[in-house]
Amino acid sequence: MDVVQALAIAGSTAFLGLILELVRRGALAAKYSLVWLVCGIVLLILSIWRSVLHALAAWLGIHYPPAFLLLVLVGFVSGGSLLFTVALSRHRAQIDRLTEELALLNARLREDRSTTSRADFHR
Amino acid sequence: MDVLIVNDASEDDTVAVVPGLGVRWLDLSVHLGVGGAVRAGLRYAHESGYEFVVRIDADGQHRPDDIDSLMAPVINGQADAAVGTRHAHGSHPGAKASLKRFFQWLLGAWLGLLTGHRVTDPTSGFWAFGREAIAFLAASHPSGYPEPELMLLLRRERLRVTEVPIQMRERLAGESSLTFPRIGLALACTLVASVVVPLRARRRL
Repeated sequence: MDVVQALAIAGSTAFLGLILELVRRGALAAKYSLVWLVCGIVLLILSIWRSVLHALAAWLGIHYPPAFLLLVLVGFVSGGSLLFTVALSRHRAQIDRLTEELALLNARLREDRSTTSRADFHR
Repeated sequence: MDVLIVNDASEDDTVAVVPGLGVRWLDLSVHLGVGGAVRAGLRYAHESGYEFVVRIDADGQHRPDDIDSLMAPVINGQADAAVGTRHAHGSHPGAKASLKRFFQWLLGAWLGLLTGHRVTDPTSGFWAFGREAIAFLAASHPSGYPEPELMLLLRRERLRVTEVPIQMRERLAGESSLTFPRIGLALACTLVASVVVPLRARRRL
């Protein structure tokens, strides 16, 4: 086992551990951890079984196998970012909606109160 | 006529001043930007059963004197929405041939090309809406810098939009939210909208 492989295995393991720890602490929702967990597992598999990495790289016509590892990583990172901007947009829409509803509710409450107090006054 | 003020999480004295004015108001607890504020106001109008809504900027640039002429085509049933334009007869007195003005012209020309209707003031925030437009926009008024997209959206929904010439004053307070980098962003967002809006399914027929 050379240094690159040891580093790759250690890196992927640490990454997986970090993701699991974040989920355990509740800092990362399980739903959003899936992309990263799959990414970590794939990277771990490819760093342990170099034959798989080499075979896949050769099949794709990549002469330098570690470049394939980077390709996988870039794929996951872009996919993840896209998913998260989608989630972010949905959350923004939800916040907008909630803020509007809250403002309307407050106004209704305020107006109801003022009409009731006026009614009391006239009684 | 009832007046509704939408306070989009202002950090100035708005919260203290508004309750003393004897008008209705909405307090947004999180800053949403023009689009969300207008949507909230329209939702209020829709739920309360108002027939007509005039949206007017709070910085004093729009003259309340123009409200009658702005509302006229909507009240007469000639249009579902009317937008005030300060460039109906070329430029207004205060207009300078600036880069900003050029971008606005470009935006207007692009919207005109897409909708097949003349758009002389694409970023105008002075609008009158009729019942149908209120019902539709209460749920789907665009966010962000919404005016150009609003033009596209209303046409897409086959609502009739008409332009009404208005006079603009110098703003009494505050600064334009359309600063230079933002007008670029607004332009880019409008370009995206002009591709996406026609592809979206119509929500009503």
